[in-house]
Amino acid sequence: MELSLLLAQALSGLSRGMMLFLIASGLSLIFGVMNILNFAHATLWLVGAYACYTFWFILQDHSFAIWLAIPLAALSVGLVGWIIEVLLIRRVYERELPEQLLLTYAMVLILGDLIKITWGVEDKLITRPALLAEPVFIAGVPIDSYFIFVIAVGFAVFFALWWFLKKTRFGHIVRAAVFSREMVGALGIPIPMIYTGVFVMGIFIAGLAGAIQGPVGSVTLGMDMAIVIQAFCVVIIGGFGSLLGTLVSSIIVGEVYAFAILFWPGGALALIFILTAMVLIVRPWGLFGTPLRA
Amino acid sequence: MRTKSLLCLAAVLAVCLTLVSGGMTQAKAGEPYNLGAALAITGTGALYCQDGVDAIKLAVEEINAKGGFLGQHPIKLYIRDTHTKPDSAVRATRDLILRDKVRTVLGTYSSACAVAIKPVCLEYKVLHIPAISNSEGITLTNFSPYTYQVVPNSYMQAKAVVLGVAALAKKKGWKTFATIASDYEWGRSTQQNTVALLKQLAPDLKLIKEFWPPLGETQFTSYITAIMAQKPDFVLGSIASKDNVAWMKQAKAYGFFKKIPYPGSLISVTELILQAKTLDRGLVGLCRAPFFAHMNVPMMANFVAAFKKKYNRYPSDWAVMEYDAVYGLKQGIEKAKSIDSTKVKDALKGATIDTTRGKLYFRDIDNQLSCSSYLGVVADDPKYPFPIYHDLVEVKGPDSWRPEKEIIAARAAKKK
Repeated sequence: MELSLLLAQALSGLSRGMMLFLIASGLSLIFGVMNILNFAHATLWLVGAYACYTFWFILQDHSFAIWLAIPLAALSVGLVGWIIEVLLIRRVYERELPEQLLLTYAMVLILGDLIKITWGVEDKLITRPALLAEPVFIAGVPIDSYFIFVIAVGFAVFFALWWFLKKTRFGHIVRAAVFSREMVGALGIPIPMIYTGVFVMGIFIAGLAGAIQGPVGSVTLGMDMAIVIQAFCVVIIGGFGSLLGTLVSSIIVGEVYAFAILFWPGGALALIFILTAMVLIVRPWGLFGTPLRA
Repeated sequence: MRTKSLLCLAAVLAVCLTLVSGGMTQAKAGEPYNLGAALAITGTGALYCQDGVDAIKLAVEEINAKGGFLGQHPIKLYIRDTHTKPDSAVRATRDLILRDKVRTVLGTYSSACAVAIKPVCLEYKVLHIPAISNSEGITLTNFSPYTYQVVPNSYMQAKAVVLGVAALAKKKGWKTFATIASDYEWGRSTQQNTVALLKQLAPDLKLIKEFWPPLGETQFTSYITAIMAQKPDFVLGSIASKDNVAWMKQAKAYGFFKKIPYPGSLISVTELILQAKTLDRGLVGLCRAPFFAHMNVPMMANFVAAFKKKYNRYPSDWAVMEYDAVYGLKQGIEKAKSIDSTKVKDALKGATIDTTRGKLYFRDIDNQLSCSSYLGVVADDPKYPFPIYHDLVEVKGPDSWRPEKEIIAARAAKKK
């Protein structure tokens, strides 16, 4: 097989991986810091896609429509995240995992119905910007230019989060909270404020990912359920709370899926789940996670 | 004397009981006709089903304006969401039958849903009219006399594609092909039928790879590059609804359709409208009931005008077929002179009905309507704000459906 074709497959795997990273990074961050398994994360991702459609629809006569719609959608979903945290999530921090799961699953259903009421049941179609409508060629291989944009945003989010966690005071506090929230609290740092900030940030990234997903196909009800399991697989493989782990596992999942399609099309999805199961058995805290956390 | 009196009393009671029980099965004038629709309001199939729901509502309004079925049974419509999932479809159908007491279930999107609800309708002797999902499995084996299909089934569609593709392959010297089909009942059955028929008509063509994206796939990039890596002479696709939109959008962005011919994939009126700006002109597509093919049929012209007036848009294939389903049922009821489902079922057997697509009939052996499949070249048309099919080829039902002897053989094989 030609090298250029393998490159094409690798790039398509990378784009798939980056889309997963954008969804999973917020999920991992929220669980890593807050110990909240947010089952509604992918539904908030879907809200981001619908919000992007609304802003794009309003602005569609302008050439910058999608470029403004994406950040506006992410901010809107961040705001929704803040409301959810204040009204619901902060009430279950000390509860058991099954109760948290029940609450966030209830949110999936409520948000699903709210989406239906707000946007209706028809699929929404966002036209891609002219700039990203044609393929680009890398070593003679055509690549969907929109996915180059997705890959770029994925890495940008990774570096922004890395910088935030490693280089800012708030980031240091967040990292410390991953290991011992009691100790951080004992230092006089208001844990609820940290939690709210982290939750909103995670949901903002989910909204951003959803907004970026919008122009890929059509925006439709039920998309969240198709992606949520793969996002969980990514987080499990990478390790909850590990940014680098989420990035690496997203790329692994994307590439495994892409090359499985090339060589064993029938087993692509199964391979992802086999990989997840193996990690759960051999290294339950994930490739880059730490077993120290209780 | 006493014995004689008792015998007389018993006879009178028996007559009364007979009359009462007869009256129970006989619908009274004015009794509403409960009509169910099990459709995908959410999930993968929602894109197609919304139009179907709107068309059903329109047909119901029109019929109710004249007093309902037989002019005396106003229709009460019950719509349930199958979520495009078979288990959910079965629950919705049971609810429709047991709680809402429907006499007919219209449906469904996803052939897996249609196959799942068929035995439920049979169990309760309720008519079942699939008008969107079209797997041949719905009528081929495990035949239910209560199921009437008003959409060209997957075999008929495959045959239509194959006739067109075989001619193209000969003309262009194509030798190899790949397939991409959604990994569920309809995708599998359409792909298998197409490949099997193509082997018969063009035995030299070689299938080099099959791709099965899961239902609900949002990102097709890896499939696109993998297909391009195989370098097939052409690709056959069986992807529907929102998956089809994502696939077409992403494949176009890769320049896929400029590199590899993609003839005969499902491009329904929904896709023609939704992707009016972006759809590649010149694509050879397949659809099930394009309204513009039958504007010369008064029923179609009236339907399109009414639909446009009510919803301010053109009807898709799915709207056309659901509308025909309601009017097919109406004609069955009129022929039976009853709303009793068993009588209507018998009346529809082999019946010829007026549809928006012209006069069509149900084939005895499988209750499949003799409806056509349509192939054409996507092209702009000054009459419409979206592209339609030019050089339209209508492959008639009787020219494309599976021969009866094969159906008999398939059923015999299933029994073993």
